[in-house]
Order: sequence, then structure tokens, then C-alpha cells
Amino acid sequence: MSDAAVSLTTMEFHPQPKPGTPRVWAFPAPERGRLGNGLTVLRCHRPGQQVVAVEIVLDAPLDAEPEGLDGVATIMARALSEGTDKHTAEEFAAELERCGATLDAHADHPAVRVSLEVPASRLHKALGLLSDALRAPAFADDEVDRLVRNRLDEIPHETANPARRAAKQLSAELFPASSRMSRPRQGTEETVARIDAAAVRAFYEAHVRPASATAVVVGDLTGIDLDALLDETLGAWKGDAPRPRTAPPVTADDTGRVVIVDRPGAVQTQLLIGRVGPDRHDRVWPAQVVGTYCLGGTLTSRLDRVLREEKGYTYGVRAFGQVLRSLPDGTGAAMLAISGSVDTPNTGPALDDLWKVLRTLAAEGLTDAERDAAVHNLVGVAPLKYETAASVAGTLADQVEQHLPDDFQAQLYRRLDATGTVEATAAVVSAFPPDRLVTVLVGDAARIKEPVEALGLGEVTVVTG
Amino acid sequence: MPMGHTATAQAGSGGLTATEHRLANGLRVVLSEDHLTPVAAVCLWYDVGSRHEVKGRTGLAHLFEHLMFQGSRQVQGNGHFELVQGAGGSLNGTTSFERTNYFETMPAHQLELALWLEADRMGSLLAALDEESMENQRDVVKNERRQRYDNVPYGTAFEKLTALVFPDGHPYHHTPIGSMADLDAATLEDARNFFRTYYAPNNAVLSVVGDIDPEQTLAWIEKYFGSIPPHDGKPEPRDGTLPEVIGEQLREVVEEDVPARALMAAYRLPADGTRACDAADLALTVLGGGESSRLHNRLVRRDRTAVAAGFGLLRLAGAPSMGWLDVKTSAGVEVPDIEAAVDEELARFAAEGPTAEEMERAQAQLEREWLDRLGTVAGRADELCRFAVLFGDPQLALTAVQRVLDVTADEVREVAAQQLRPDNRAVLVYEPAKADDGDQTDSDEEEGTDQ
Repeated sequence: MSDAAVSLTTMEFHPQPKPGTPRVWAFPAPERGRLGNGLTVLRCHRPGQQVVAVEIVLDAPLDAEPEGLDGVATIMARALSEGTDKHTAEEFAAELERCGATLDAHADHPAVRVSLEVPASRLHKALGLLSDALRAPAFADDEVDRLVRNRLDEIPHETANPARRAAKQLSAELFPASSRMSRPRQGTEETVARIDAAAVRAFYEAHVRPASATAVVVGDLTGIDLDALLDETLGAWKGDAPRPRTAPPVTADDTGRVVIVDRPGAVQTQLLIGRVGPDRHDRVWPAQVVGTYCLGGTLTSRLDRVLREEKGYTYGVRAFGQVLRSLPDGTGAAMLAISGSVDTPNTGPALDDLWKVLRTLAAEGLTDAERDAAVHNLVGVAPLKYETAASVAGTLADQVEQHLPDDFQAQLYRRLDATGTVEATAAVVSAFPPDRLVTVLVGDAARIKEPVEALGLGEVTVVTG
Repeated sequence: MPMGHTATAQAGSGGLTATEHRLANGLRVVLSEDHLTPVAAVCLWYDVGSRHEVKGRTGLAHLFEHLMFQGSRQVQGNGHFELVQGAGGSLNGTTSFERTNYFETMPAHQLELALWLEADRMGSLLAALDEESMENQRDVVKNERRQRYDNVPYGTAFEKLTALVFPDGHPYHHTPIGSMADLDAATLEDARNFFRTYYAPNNAVLSVVGDIDPEQTLAWIEKYFGSIPPHDGKPEPRDGTLPEVIGEQLREVVEEDVPARALMAAYRLPADGTRACDAADLALTVLGGGESSRLHNRLVRRDRTAVAAGFGLLRLAGAPSMGWLDVKTSAGVEVPDIEAAVDEELARFAAEGPTAEEMERAQAQLEREWLDRLGTVAGRADELCRFAVLFGDPQLALTAVQRVLDVTADEVREVAAQQLRPDNRAVLVYEPAKADDGDQTDSDEEEGTDQ
């Protein structure tokens, strides 16, 4: 097999190599502008990215849904691509796919987002279709009725999924019933069943207009006259001036307690342990990102070092902070949580270890080595993370819906770099206080309730469904 | 008009090039330069997957992949993860029927570290592999199995369909995750033998893609990998050849705690690497890809009998590929209604073939998927390895999209007529278990033996 001239019997070992000189990379700065109809446009040329990403941010937050119609924002978002003044629903889907495009829309607490991806050579045609969807959606009775029934059929699948079920329960536990955040983003069987085309159109007319919307366009724009193209497509969308919007402050009850969603016979327990804390407008955010990574960002973080790599209780447990709404006045919030699944017999021991990790962290803090590894990863992966147009567009659109400046992400890397061990420790200990966490367990109550009660994490209740 | 509607001048390849090299120990190397972003992807494919496993040791290739992250002679414990992530890189490994891959995407100035790490474990894993890692990762993998397959509704459908389409004794009869019993039975000596048999430079392809200096990169590869001894003695995988059609309709009805009835089916289709496989990909896209496909329009939009309906293609090179139908029913709908509609649509398609517009849509969709895959250095590195390992020529990755665009409507109709037939499928029907029936939950006998 090998060259006769080379003797290959033992491997020659070399010391670990030193890194070369890093090439400067910065998170791209978008160019900001506005069309005649008031639509804000952020554009960003990314050479080589032949699939262009377009993100539309519509100022139609979930708390704007009328009472008892949870899910109407979701149905409206989906109905945007179910026919326009030029195409039936089937034709519209066919025309989009003929461009090689994908179009997704979803509603979340801060906004409705519509995401288009299309090869650059067909951007013009796809933007025309997107513009039609925003400008003149048909909202035909029959199509809305179908979307409502389809949504009702989806709900049992989500309920059956342990991770989705846990998320639903945690929201219901944390937020007061009056808060939109306490209820499923896409509505319940009861509220979705009430939605009809008139309700969808009313929501659209009340909240969707170009003057309060933003379009983010990212990709290889070589040879594309984007101004002309936008004028001709999204520029044709008309609407009146938006009304100012106020958001209710986010409050949450993080009294330490455990809720078991009973799943007789489950071979694993899905866990979701969380509370609410600072969002991106808070000065602590970078330190919280570093500290949360040290706690549970990867399989060499504190949680997995014990739960996975030492004990084998899990395929992986992660800690994360996910922005719910982020507002300049400080009334925003992020969900701070730990999630994963552990095998049923080891549920008690796994939770015991998890709390030991939290208590040790609070007592002893992070090490400089942990802080360094976290910062090097979080900052170092940026050029990888933002290689595609879609990832850049997604982050720019997040910044818009969270009312952050366009250079937030670029500045964040500098702030992460400047975060010290002490700050990261303080932030993560304050984010995950061992006695102020709500624990949701989706698992076999008959087998896990007793061992969990013995841990003294607060009151343990069992629910079904 | 296959060329008429391509999205780019050189569809998919975008002017990309790749060079090929071979070290004296047999390691094949593929390099591709791209200086747009200061990142470099390293991808290493070992020509071993679950098809090489033997009866009683299913899941060994995947369990072994986990052990590759547990340290080697110069890398302590989880050092592989720690060093890559600490350098601002990302990494992972995956195991399929036909290969095991390992990959790191690094800031370009950290490329040498990734090469050093991959070489260290290729050459010296056994210096570090011990009973403790084995026991720990056995538990981790069993929890992976529970999380991804056993504890989710329909989670074992793929495993059941695979077992139906590929008969008992066939190398693809079992899926890479393996069975709980076999995972329990695997020994440290099995893992060592697996490494000695399959982990050698002459059984691997290494690709490096991105902001690299090819000459320097090749010199590093020679330095770190060049002295790893090759070895022969790898047994050929058992032959995966099967008749083009199953010859009868196989069927299994599963009563489980699932939220809705479901109709799933798997068809034997042409092997990957053939023009007929690309034709089959287009057929499945027209029939069940995206929101304008025939099955979506029929079942979700018009009949309103399904909450979701679609087709997927699992490309396999050493056995027939698998076309996978997945339909979840709407409330109150019975499976025979769905099945009759699916049969009707497939029969019509086999008779008439796709329309010109359907061909255009399907080709545009597959083209965008290719642009996406080749749009990142990691995606490109993986595709270069794939074509090198499975078909002996990495350059094929850069022209793959053109081959899809060259397929004609006649060829699409033909593959559908020949293989998307009731006598060439395994059907899996899910019926929700009745609420008062206590025996239906998938009792896992293995869990009691855990720790």
C-alpha cells in the first residue's frame, strides 16, 4: 500500500501547534435607509453568498392580539403566503418554489417575522411575491379556515413532544395569567378555534403597515440595483402612519417549586428549569452570556462535565438566555433556563447533581480559565456563525425587533472580550439562584416524584395533559 | 431546457475548485481555497459506518465515534472539545450507514490545531481509551437513543421502516443508533478492535476548505498525518445489493401512544451516484417536497385529510436508496382514505410524469439546497469528502447540481413508474393506543440496568 521508500511503523508526535496571526473580522455593518412608503431597509452586501436572505419585521407583537384570540398573529403570518390579489394560494406557493425560494413566517412576542431565502439571480421575482403577500394578502375564508384546522391538528403533536410540553408549562408557571407570555405563542385549541378570516384581516389592518416595518436584505448583491428593485416591489406597499405602542412590563413568579407533567411509562424525564432575567438592553447582558456559557454552553461546561461526561445521565444539558422582549426602557426580559433530558431512574440523582453544580458555582465562582475559554469561543466563532446571509439577516432583524442599535452585535464582541471573571460569576449566579428556579419535569410521576421531593427544591405538584 | 433556468452561470459550483493529493500512507487529501471569510473547515471521513457492524454489535460505529472525543495520546480527556472551542472553533462527528465523519470549523489562523488534533486521535486513540470512557459514553449514547428515538412520538419509525425495506441479515437492516441490548453488550475490546480495523489513514479522506494556503496546509498534513502507519485487513462490508423492487407490499401496524394516526412508507430507489437517483430525487420533490407538491396540494390543501404530507430521500451508495413518505392525519381521518389518495397520485404521476413547470420548480428547489450546502466551508468540505469516499472523485461534488438540472421529465416519470409502486414499499401505520390500555407504552427493558 505505502511507498516502499518510506518506513511507516510508528507515528511521530509533535507538540501542539501555536495559532497563526488572526485576520481581522467584524460583524457586518448594515446600510440603513427608508423607502418612500416609510419602510425601513437594512442592507448588507456579503460577497459569495449566492442565496440572499430577506427578513421582514412587522410590528405586530403577540400582546396586540385581541382578548380570546391567541394565535391570530400566527394564522395571519401563515395566511400571508396563502394567496394575494394576483395569485391563488396554490399558485403563490408554486411561483415561490419556481424561484427556488423558501418563505417562512411566524409570530413571536416582539414581532411577526417573514423570512425569504432565494438565489440572487431570482431575487427580483421573489421580492415581487413577498411584496404581494405583504401588500395584498387575500385572506380568503376558505384558506383561513384550512389554516385554523391545520393549526388545531398541530397542537396534539406539540403536546406529545416532551420539550414543547415543558416549555408550555414553564410559561404558564412563570407569568401571571393576564400576561400574553403565560400562554402558548400559537394559541390554544379554544382560542384558535375562534379565529376566522375577518379576525385575521382585522389584525392585519390594525398592525401591518410599511411605516412600522423593516426589511433586512443580505447576500451577494453584485450587479443588483437594489434601490430600483425595492422601489418596484416593496415600495408598492402602502399604509397609513402607525400608532405608538406601549408594552406591559414583564413580571414573573420564580418561587422555587417543581411541577411534574405526568407521562406514565416515559423512559426519560424532560427537564426545563427557568426564571426570567435581564435582556439585551441591560448592561449585565455580556457578562450573563459569558457566565451562562460557563454553566451550560457546551459539553465541557460545568453541567455536562458532571451530568454527561462523568455520570452519563444525559445526552446533554444546556443553559441559555433567550430574549422574550427587549426594550430600551428596561421593561424587557429574557427567559433564563436549563434544559435537557435524563433517564427516568436517574432523575433524582441528576437533579441533585445539577443543584450541587449551581450551589458550588455560587459559593466558589468561576475560574479565570473557564472565563477565558468561554470568551475565546463566543468571540472566536463569530466569523463561522455569520458565514451565511441568513444568519447575518437573522441577527440584524433580531436587533430591529429588540430596539437595539445596528452595531449592537459588533459592540457585543468588544464587551464580551472586556468581561472579567468576577463579572461573569456575578451575572450567572444572579441569573440562576438555586432557590429561585421553577422546575418543570415531563416524566413518569410514579417513578420520579418521590426522589424529587426528597431534594427539597420547593413544593412538588403533578399535572396531567 | 435543463440549462435555461439555472440560478448561476456555473450552477452550484460558483467557480469553486478543489485539488487532490495522497500521502504515502494512503490518506487522501482534498483542498479547496476560498478567501472570502477568515475561516477554514476540516472534515475527515472514515469509510466505516453501521453497515460494517456485525450481528450483536449494532450501534458500535456510533458508540465508537463518541469515544473519539475522549482523548488520545497527547490530548487529555475532553481536550479535543476544549481546545477547538477555546480556539473559537466548532466541531462534531456523526455516524451514518456508510461513513463516520468528524469536522472542525476554525478561525483560519487556528487551522493547524485542528489538523494536529485529528492526527493525534487517528494515530493514537488507543493510548487513552479506557474502561471509564467506555462505560460513560455507553450511558450517554443510551440516553441519546432515548432522547431522539424512544421518548418521542413516532421516534422509532425510521428504524422500523429500515428494518422492513432491508431484510434481516442485510447490512442496512439496522440503523446507526443500534439496539439497547447491543450497546450494553459492547466491550472495550470490541472498541479497540474496531479502531484497529477501520481507523487508518488509508481508510479515510481529509478535506480542508476555506481561507487556506494550500502549500502550507499540505505541509502540515504531511507533518502530522504522514507518519501514521497504514494498515490493511479491513473486511469489505457485506454486499448490499438487492432486487430493484421488494416484490410485495410489506406492512406493519403499530399501536402506540401517538397524537394522531400516521401513514409512513419506505420505497427502494436507485443507489446514490446514479442518474436514476437524481431522477428519483426530482420525482420525490414534485410529489412531496415543499408546499406546492402534489401530495401537499392533494392531502393538506384540497382533501384536508392531513396535517402534513411529504417525501424525503435517503441517498445510499452501497444499497438501494430509500424514499420515505410521511403523512400525519387530521383529526378523525382514517388511514385507508389517505392511502387511497396517495396511491392515486403516485399512479397518475407514474403514467403522466411531471409537467414542465413541476420540473422547473423541483430543479429550482434542489438547486437552492445545493447552493446552501456549498455556501459554507463546512458544507463544502463535507460534500468533497462524500464524493471522494463513496464515488472516488471529490470533483463530482462541484458538478452535482448540474447533474440534477440535466435530468429530463421522461427519466423522472420512468423511475416513478418502475419504483414508486405498491409492490415496492414497506408501509408503517400508526394507530393511537387507547387511553385505558396500559400495555402500549414502549417499555424499555434496558433502563433498569442503567447504573
